[in-house]
Amino acid sequence: MAVITTKGVEKVYNPDKIPVKALKGVDLEIEAGEFTAIVGPSGSGKTTLLNIIGGLDRPTAGYVEVGGEDISQMSDNVLIDFRKQHIGFVFQAYNLIPVLTARENVEFVMLLQNRSKTERHARADELLKAVGLEDKVHKRPAELSGGQQQRVAVARALAPKPTFILADEPTANLDSESTANLLDIMARLNQEEGVTFVFSTHDQRVIDRARRVVTLVDGRVDEDLRR
Amino acid sequence: MIPIMAWRNVWRSPTRSWVVITAIALGIWAALSLTGFATGMMKSYVNSAIENSVGHLQIHAPGFTEEYDLQNQLPPASELSTQLEALPQLQAYSMRTVVSSMASSSQGARGVMVKGVEPQQEAAVSAIEDKLVEGEFFPEMRGNAVLIGQELAEKLNLKLRSKMVLTFQGLDREITAAAFRVVGIFDTGNTPFDGSTVFVERADLNRLIIPQTDSTMVQSDLVYEAALLLHDVNQVDTVAALLETALPGQEVKTYREVSPDLELYESQIQNVSMIYLVVILLALVFGIINTMLMAVLERIKELGMLMAIGMNKLRVFSMIVLETILLGVVATPIGLLLGYLTINYVRENGIDMSAYSEGMASYGLSQIIYFDVEPGVYSQMAIGVFLTAILAAIYPALKAIRLKPVDALHSF
Repeated sequence: MAVITTKGVEKVYNPDKIPVKALKGVDLEIEAGEFTAIVGPSGSGKTTLLNIIGGLDRPTAGYVEVGGEDISQMSDNVLIDFRKQHIGFVFQAYNLIPVLTARENVEFVMLLQNRSKTERHARADELLKAVGLEDKVHKRPAELSGGQQQRVAVARALAPKPTFILADEPTANLDSESTANLLDIMARLNQEEGVTFVFSTHDQRVIDRARRVVTLVDGRVDEDLRR
Repeated sequence: MIPIMAWRNVWRSPTRSWVVITAIALGIWAALSLTGFATGMMKSYVNSAIENSVGHLQIHAPGFTEEYDLQNQLPPASELSTQLEALPQLQAYSMRTVVSSMASSSQGARGVMVKGVEPQQEAAVSAIEDKLVEGEFFPEMRGNAVLIGQELAEKLNLKLRSKMVLTFQGLDREITAAAFRVVGIFDTGNTPFDGSTVFVERADLNRLIIPQTDSTMVQSDLVYEAALLLHDVNQVDTVAALLETALPGQEVKTYREVSPDLELYESQIQNVSMIYLVVILLALVFGIINTMLMAVLERIKELGMLMAIGMNKLRVFSMIVLETILLGVVATPIGLLLGYLTINYVRENGIDMSAYSEGMASYGLSQIIYFDVEPGVYSQMAIGVFLTAILAAIYPALKAIRLKPVDALHSF
């Protein structure tokens, strides 16, 4: 069953001045449990597509369905709520909340969902253990390495049990060891818990681990390879 | 967790937070001190007027204070005394005969208000006896005695034991003049009062204004003004109401009505305090806006991320407002404590304004001002800062929620 469907998605920046067509009609279906990398050269529209799939931006034409719901017409407030319930984000620059500890960061979205403290603690500890950071529960981001911060970010994205996780260049700032470590964790979570991952990446090490690789060129799907 | 986040966010930049906390605390301290000073000055002015001769309440026959027409007499002093002595709230009273007069000496003449008093009664109501700088308060002597103010003494070149002539209308509207000897010179610190008021014995004055041909009038019963001092100044309105019922047809006035300048002064001081407060709070608003705007602008990416992962606009708004309130929560007790300590110190020790004494005395103010504030001012100040913080938080908070996550994050 497709968790994400894009149909004829177009995105034009500066439509009134000098229009730039970032996406020129993207049709894509991503099934539950997939481990998909969206690749392509700079300016091919990877980030734009992820922004639109993630409900952070709206298409100029076409529509996006997540779990059967058209998110392209939702209001800002409804979209915020939708993202909170259905989408986990992992950012290139980790983007953890600097004033919160690792556990509090992981709990944060669950807190926004008004889950109980006991449930939040248990889930955060379970996930931090799963990403190998059970001894860093009380550390703040500044006390963690880049790789450790990105693992906390993965745990945070997973915490509310989202429909899928979007990761924008998650390994761009990591060294080889941390990248391998992170990919192992994400692949395991994908296989063991069936979590759907969608990456945008340049990183060959990520592309090598992906089971589906969608290549964008000039705002169009150039190749869609399943392994 | 959001309050915890807000609290920790406040301390992300401790120097910046302490700068704004110090500014708020100093603002509160300054506002309290200014209010203390203004209230102290007001009380000094009002108390000096009350002590000098106004008292807390005055009773006159209707219309007397408009023209000082001697036909407008109060009921006989003996009857009035009986009624006044029945009032439990009364501390003391003084029966007076008041005439508008011309005081003259070899140096010149000036218009004065002559207050004929009974020395013992007057000493219990006013502080004139304590304000004597020369002479005595109506010593035993033959002839007419007068107490004059330092200002009048200088203008008419009068000294202790000098003679002066007071000229006024009698009850029969005939002009009467009599020589008085200066037995005391007072200095109340209120130059206009000292230059225009003299005190004589009521018996002397009554004897002079009652025509010798009138044998029906009892001298000791002739009275035009009763000045009352209460145990508690806050009861003036209650006692005024009681007296109006007990003495139908007579004018009962509180010190504010007797001296409208006192009421004007009280309200002006309150207005000025309010203006100080508003100016200080406005300055704080801009200081806080500046700080919070910096706090928001340097966290654009983080705020974008929070909204991306599902923190709604209301929560983001609340967090920014809460951060601002927390700055106020830390600053307010510090400012209140500093203000309290300053006010308490100056309440005890006073602040010496003698460098400006001449100017202050001409406005009826004493040279040493003792700070004073009503207890409610502290809570009003705390509420004022709380509201200021909320007001100052609105713009930065709106700025935060207007961010578009996709732009704020740049990528993603």
